[in-house]
Amino acid sequence: MDRKEKLNSLKYSIINSIIPILIAFGIGAIAIILAKENPLSAYGTLFYRSLFNIKGIFNTLHFAGPLILTGLAIAISFKAGLFNMGIEGQLLSAGFVVAVMGNVWGELPKTVLVPLLLVVGVLVGVIVAIIPTMLKAFYNVNEMVVTLLLNYAIIHILQYLTENTFRDPSSGYVSTPRISSNAIPSRIFEDYRLTTFFIVAIVVYVIFYFIMKRSKLGFEITALGQNRNFAEATGMRIQKKIIIIMLASGALAGLAGAGWMMSEKYAYTLSFSGIPGLGWDGMLIALLGSHSPIGILIAAVFYAVVKTGSSNIAIFTSVPYEIVILLQALIVLFLSLKVFVKPKELKLGEPSVPKKRFKNLFKGGKE
Amino acid sequence: MNLDFIIKVFSDSLYFTGPILLVSLGGLFAYKAGVVNIGLDGMMGIGALASALVLFYTGNWLIAIIGGIISGVLIGLLFSFFGVTKKANFIITGFAINLLSTALGKYVLALEGRTDINVIGTISNLNTRIEIPLIKDIPILGPIISNQTPLVYISFILIFVLSFVIYKTKFGTYVRVVGESEEAAKSVGININKIKYLAVIIGAVLAALAGYEVAINQLNAYTADITAGIGFIALAAIYCGDGKPKTVAIYAILFGLTRSLATNLAIRIGSIAGLLQIIPYLMIVIVLTTVAIINHRKSLYRGFLDE
Repeated sequence: MDRKEKLNSLKYSIINSIIPILIAFGIGAIAIILAKENPLSAYGTLFYRSLFNIKGIFNTLHFAGPLILTGLAIAISFKAGLFNMGIEGQLLSAGFVVAVMGNVWGELPKTVLVPLLLVVGVLVGVIVAIIPTMLKAFYNVNEMVVTLLLNYAIIHILQYLTENTFRDPSSGYVSTPRISSNAIPSRIFEDYRLTTFFIVAIVVYVIFYFIMKRSKLGFEITALGQNRNFAEATGMRIQKKIIIIMLASGALAGLAGAGWMMSEKYAYTLSFSGIPGLGWDGMLIALLGSHSPIGILIAAVFYAVVKTGSSNIAIFTSVPYEIVILLQALIVLFLSLKVFVKPKELKLGEPSVPKKRFKNLFKGGKE
Repeated sequence: MNLDFIIKVFSDSLYFTGPILLVSLGGLFAYKAGVVNIGLDGMMGIGALASALVLFYTGNWLIAIIGGIISGVLIGLLFSFFGVTKKANFIITGFAINLLSTALGKYVLALEGRTDINVIGTISNLNTRIEIPLIKDIPILGPIISNQTPLVYISFILIFVLSFVIYKTKFGTYVRVVGESEEAAKSVGININKIKYLAVIIGAVLAALAGYEVAINQLNAYTADITAGIGFIALAAIYCGDGKPKTVAIYAILFGLTRSLATNLAIRIGSIAGLLQIIPYLMIVIVLTTVAIINHRKSLYRGFLDE
């Protein structure tokens, strides 16, 4: 592919990502009208408050951190044709364990505790991913159904533990004890919420960028997703690759959960991950970014804008915060169409005369 | 363990099996036609939302059922238009429908400023359970089988009706041919898209009816997370039974029984009860694994993407 062609296909992939967003916002406008508000001013609030002032931008980046990670987690598995729908459960489990350990190990100094908890989060994510991974790799059990169902099991287990074993009796609502202040990563700028966790997320992102774009593993993942039979026929060890990809996906989800807990939530509650959940947000981000690293970064920031913006419209207008889930569902729905416009391909042997004439119509007939 | 408890477990297992059976029997048509519909859960949720809203505002259960069915047809058309006509990625379209169901539910509830749509006042004078004369007097079996909602009985009758449709009618044969080989179907002049549309819509309508059953008859209220994964449980039943109506039904009944066991044991043992809720989900994973091990002994890895 030469440069021009590459640029051309990039142009179309951008257009194909923007059209679903526009359609979703268009349908979302109907929902806003139902809430008796002006869609234009509501969307204005959404973007202005999260994009056009310094505080808003840093807030947006703060929320983008875990989203970048869950987006990567989904993308790496989907790109290989594996549907790890368990990101949400892996993220919740990691958040929960980090909340408990962040309280128990509270005496440790910050420089030790913060990295330690991030590692714990990653490990929990991997451990939770082990069951569906092994079932897929060794027995070829449909990983999508298994991960979806295990999410329900995990949610019930964590709910039980939060309501009983690890409940903070002094708290007025169902919640674990707050993590120690030593477990909270320090802020980059004193006045804004952005923490060093964002830097961690970016570093992980860069590592994954090189793995996906430059390493043998990255190419193998793509090959696996495009044609598994062919990939196997070339001698790739599928089983091993499935294990690596699914566990890496779990590790990213775990890191996202740990970071979200330590930099934003500080205690595990039953609504830790929000609605519809950071793991599900990752699905949107991976699709919107068409599974490419750069696309994911842009999509994560975009969706963080929509998310912070939605809480702003909920504050300043009568449109409920739930508008964000509606927009998300609609964007995913229209993204599933994949292509709205296709680059025109010039086929070999195609008569070029009619085409020229057609072109001239627009040029005013001048030859 | 006394007799009453055992009767309660089996009677409740029919109660829980009803919706699972409806969704899985409907969903197997799409499965047989080669369309993976993971949107069943969302279709059920949208059916529940539509029928609860209609019932809440009209107070008429018949209109509510019709509303649920219409919502099922519409969402089935939406899925087919994207997945079949536009050749979108089924998995993502289905996933989007699941998201859409939760989103619509939460948005509507937030707009109305409530946490659920409670229809208990609307249907208080409506007897949702049927007592079957004669059968209800049989000892042990009577209390189990009798006094269920009409949709439970319908779902069990549907096992045989749909089994007949799939294996003995022209439509059923076409569905299976399309699923086996689109090329072959095309060569004998079957309208592939039409068959796929119908297969998906059957699933969507039955899923919507299951939504009606859970929201109106069982819980008397709609909440945004009303499906509790029943759509995915049904999907697991379809996979385990490889789309054969009677086998799928056996798995659906098995999953219903597990759910009933978990719920009834939970009532007995106090605070650890919440933990028992995981049994059905774990059970399904175990069953899926067992079935997969048996099925894939022969084929191991080659070609498993084509499932």
